[in-house]
Amino acid sequence: MTAAVTTIRAAVTDAGGPPLLALEGVTLSFGGVRAINDVSFDVRKGEIRAIIGPNGAGKTSMLNVINGFYHPQQGTITYKGTVRRRMRPYDAASHGIARTFQNVALFKGMTTLDNIMAGRTLKMKRGFLWQCLRYGPALSEEIAHRRAVEEIIDFLEIEAIRKTPVGKLPYGLQKRVELARALAMEPELLLLDEPMAGMNLEEKEDMSRYILDVNRLWGTTIALIEHDMGVVMDLSDRVVVLDYGVKIADGPPEEVQKNQDVIDAYLGVPH
Amino acid sequence: MDVLWAVLVQPFVDMVSAPDFLLQVLWDGFVGGVLYALIALGFVLIFKASGIFNFAQGIMVVFAALTLVGLYALGMPAWVALALTLVVMFVLAVAVERLVLRPLVNQPDIILFMATIGLTYFLIGLGEFVFGGEPKVMITEALGLPTGMREWEVFGGVVFFQEIDIAAAAIAIVMVVGIGVFFHYTRIGRALRAVADDHQAALSVGISLEQIWVIVWFTAGVVALATGIMWGARSDVSFALQIIALKALPVLILGGFTSIPGAIVGGLIIGIGEKLGEIYWGPLIGGGIESWLAYVIALVFLLFRPQGLFGERIIERV
Amino acid sequence: MAGAVEAAPAREDTFPKLLLRHARERGGRPAMREKHLGIWQTWTWGEVLAEVRAAALGFARRGIGPGDAVAIVGANRPRLYWSMLAVQSLGAVPVPVYADSVADEIAYVLAHAEVVAAVCQDQEQVDKLIQVADQTPKLKFLVYDEPRGLGDYGRDRLHAFTEVQDEGRAAMTADPGLADAWAARVAAGSPDDVSVILYTSGTTGRSKGVMLSAGGCVAAARDTVAFDHLTERDEVLAYLPLAWVGDHYLNYAQAMVAGFCIACPESAETVTQDLREIGPSFYFAPPRVFEGLLTRVTIRMEDASRLKRAMVRHFLAVARRHGAAILDGRPVPLTGRLAYWLGELLVYGPLKNVLGFSRIRVAYTAGEAIGPDLFAFWRGLGLNLKQLYGQTEAFLYVTCQADGDIRSDTVGPPAPHVALRIADDGEVQFKSPGMFLGYFRDEARTAETMTPDGFVKTGDAGFFTPDGHLKIIDRARDVGRLSDGTLFAPKYIENKLKFFPTIREAVAFGDGRGFVTVMLNIDLTAVGDWAERADISYASYQELASHPRVIDLLEQAVDQVNRDLAAEPAMAGAQIRRFLVLHKELDADDGELTRTQKVRRGFIAERYAPLIEALYDGSTERHVRTEVTFEDGRRGAIEATVSIRDMTPHAGPAPALREAAE
Repeated sequence: MTAAVTTIRAAVTDAGGPPLLALEGVTLSFGGVRAINDVSFDVRKGEIRAIIGPNGAGKTSMLNVINGFYHPQQGTITYKGTVRRRMRPYDAASHGIARTFQNVALFKGMTTLDNIMAGRTLKMKRGFLWQCLRYGPALSEEIAHRRAVEEIIDFLEIEAIRKTPVGKLPYGLQKRVELARALAMEPELLLLDEPMAGMNLEEKEDMSRYILDVNRLWGTTIALIEHDMGVVMDLSDRVVVLDYGVKIADGPPEEVQKNQDVIDAYLGVPH
Repeated sequence: MDVLWAVLVQPFVDMVSAPDFLLQVLWDGFVGGVLYALIALGFVLIFKASGIFNFAQGIMVVFAALTLVGLYALGMPAWVALALTLVVMFVLAVAVERLVLRPLVNQPDIILFMATIGLTYFLIGLGEFVFGGEPKVMITEALGLPTGMREWEVFGGVVFFQEIDIAAAAIAIVMVVGIGVFFHYTRIGRALRAVADDHQAALSVGISLEQIWVIVWFTAGVVALATGIMWGARSDVSFALQIIALKALPVLILGGFTSIPGAIVGGLIIGIGEKLGEIYWGPLIGGGIESWLAYVIALVFLLFRPQGLFGERIIERV
Repeated sequence: MAGAVEAAPAREDTFPKLLLRHARERGGRPAMREKHLGIWQTWTWGEVLAEVRAAALGFARRGIGPGDAVAIVGANRPRLYWSMLAVQSLGAVPVPVYADSVADEIAYVLAHAEVVAAVCQDQEQVDKLIQVADQTPKLKFLVYDEPRGLGDYGRDRLHAFTEVQDEGRAAMTADPGLADAWAARVAAGSPDDVSVILYTSGTTGRSKGVMLSAGGCVAAARDTVAFDHLTERDEVLAYLPLAWVGDHYLNYAQAMVAGFCIACPESAETVTQDLREIGPSFYFAPPRVFEGLLTRVTIRMEDASRLKRAMVRHFLAVARRHGAAILDGRPVPLTGRLAYWLGELLVYGPLKNVLGFSRIRVAYTAGEAIGPDLFAFWRGLGLNLKQLYGQTEAFLYVTCQADGDIRSDTVGPPAPHVALRIADDGEVQFKSPGMFLGYFRDEARTAETMTPDGFVKTGDAGFFTPDGHLKIIDRARDVGRLSDGTLFAPKYIENKLKFFPTIREAVAFGDGRGFVTVMLNIDLTAVGDWAERADISYASYQELASHPRVIDLLEQAVDQVNRDLAAEPAMAGAQIRRFLVLHKELDADDGELTRTQKVRRGFIAERYAPLIEALYDGSTERHVRTEVTFEDGRRGAIEATVSIRDMTPHAGPAPALREAAE
């Protein structure tokens, strides 16, 4: 990448305040299968944290635990200093946790604009009865939110597809709309599940730039799962490596890359 | 040869030779269709938002109508009874969400479908316990609905229009337009569509499924009440009415389970088709045709458009 | 006309002078629009004057003065146009640079033009300029329009456009006389000053800096503004590359002369929507755009219901029969008029509305030959589409078609005040009001281009029709001969091929060879759509392009072209004997096309030498490996096995060989 990106990287590495999110001894099983086994790690305020590991390592389950889709059987999750045992997705969202999905979960029948507007749901303050209407204060609130959404559209350069039903968009753009919807929530913690899966090189570079910009411009803390090691090394401040639901390494990308366990896990050495 | 003639030609000859009668048949079919459409609408609303085929929609119609009649019988004015019935439907929606849907979240669809069957029997029992099992008369006049008859002289004959039917059609149109606008132009409507499209994604942006389900079940309850009033005004209010829920199935097959316009057009096609069949072809096989004709129409249709009339186009990209 | 221009010598003869006049005479009328956050923002001429003045004074404080070159790098944004005016108002020279140029090309232009400052649209452009900073020693500072992503960059040589303007405004507050001094400086501007240097993306060699004089530019634009009756009530959507003469002339110069409004698209991808929202009255697009639109319309039609399709077909036939005649004011039977009126109501009107063509009064196309069917289609719809022929060296117009005198196979008679002649070797030569002053720092090539009596050589071969229209056949130097002496006009063959919607690009070879061969590029939209309907699945362009049934499809097209060629005595011998479908799209980033999307035949021949060899040695397929450049400048390679097809030539009309072409 160019010199410009390197300067940005330098700025970000300094970030690393107190932990925003800390997981302690988290264990999650489905039936008898342990998807996550006694994993602890934290995400510091302002950093980009990567979660990597071979297929089936429990990465997506980890994200699902963080945003409340799954409830771990053991362990604690401390978010913004408060311990939460059973957090529902709604609570996660209202406390500023936004996410994207590995296989793009968009509202396919709705336009790009409506999808992103849906991301504003929790920011809309007017009560239920007002929301049923499109009048007066509800309308002016709608306009204010529309402006916020337009800024995200501008940021992600998706002006051309504003009115396009997202089901008709190519995959790379769908991923971008999904990011836009998550950004519309103005999250404190952004969870990205393989944001670059299935993209071509150019789209990957664009997406990397957006992720860095989000992190830098708005100070959004990001936890991401990614397979492309190059991207992980370029983007993240710290990396946690999972294998068969167990944490096998944790640290800055350069260190993790040299870790023998990690190399074995990726090469498929039996253990 | 005679059979072919009787099936393929004679009915049309009859239609053309007595256009006033044809018009009467079409109108009756149309009114029936509107009511089918309203029932189907209740199904579609719930199916869209939660993927549940709500078997209880038919009994909800009866229950709503019974509640209205029952409250009026207690001596309160019709409009108060109507408002209170709406409150009851809302409480029902909340109760269904709390007691049925929430504990069963993430269960397979078939389990939820079973739960709605259970709900059906619960409502039958509750209704009989509170209001008694005997048929009741709809309080049409007390609600200010017209009951007269209009005549229209045309094609050398007379076509009769029940005013209650005209009112039913008008109210149905208003409701459908209202629901359409609500779905498309309000924030809650957007949330509803979001939930219909992708549950997980809707959850992740902080849309509250609980709230949406209450809204949807309440809306379905309101639709049920309207259906109950209209249907009750034509016959009477009894538990037998819940059978009309079965009429909604061919409508849904025709219109697609997720399409509001589909429910309406499907309802009209079934209503009109059924009436035409009953009058012009029914005598050929000794009548009784209306109990199954709707399914035949739907099945024939299915051969040509598997996704239904307005159902989402099935596109499979490789 | 000539008299009118000369009789009023006191008229404004530079663009900044025109700006002052518009601010005075129509200060409240819209001058510029841009869509920001989904909403169209408008600046009046009065506001534009204030913006330009602030920027100019800011630039002046940063040391920009007469004769300095300032690069403008980016897409069509109001601030980049204002920068041009601001620079011109200081007697300095704007040098617009193609926004999609790779760093190498930019470095060359900036160094050659001795640019001292550059105004960039965004981070992408700033990055490119920083990358080449060591090759451009004279470059003192950069100014950017969009701040996004530039937060961490060093500030000593990089300034926001708004900062520069703020400095200008602060200077004005500190010294109230400054604004008047600036206006006086503008009023003193000479028509002989260089107004702009436009670098041409020539088909060979390094690009040349075409110097245009202020007076020449304004005079040329005045002529065509009068020719097409443009007024302050017209409006354009400026979506053509800022550095191309077409944008500088049709949008910038004509808007500055007529005082009409320039709307800037929200982004390159939104142009189609912006067109619909703005509804311009003057429009230019190269033939390929009209072709792309027609393809889209056709595809939409295929997807429509049967009834709709039949209706559209019927009325398009009506349009073909009567549309052009109605547009030209020729007599049409009453029934035809009625049918056309109904068609306008049901088909043409809605169609033009969807495309944003409803308000277009004048539309031009140029740059390459337009297919007769395509041309007739658009004129049939009632779009006043005309052709022009032009060059950067002429400041665009050399010939143009007047309303009511339109032909698909000519480029029209000479534009107002243009002298035009055909040299003995068939080359077209001209003299025009907007004619260039010369190539910047390149007297040798300037001298090569000029005739001793002051005409400019266009390098194009052409001839006049009996009624005075010019017809262009090819680049003069590209017209060659096969080894048996048969005339070989590659572009003529390529154009015939490209008139098929399935063929996006064609490159013909044959000069000095025994027979003609071509390389084809499929059109991904049209062929992809066809493939979908034919149940052919594919994962990539390469896979689609190499599918045997796709090659069959193209074989039919090539055969049809051969049939056409066979019907023309001069061309019958130049029928296509062998062809192949290229495994990658020809791309300007790889140097295969010019920035204006013309094929660079020589370069392609060199790059794909193994394929040329295969075309002429009788092989049926060849494995090749091709280096490609990605948009960020990195390189990679793609490999493919390309198969080659033989064609059977059609019998010619009569063996009356070698008549003069046409």
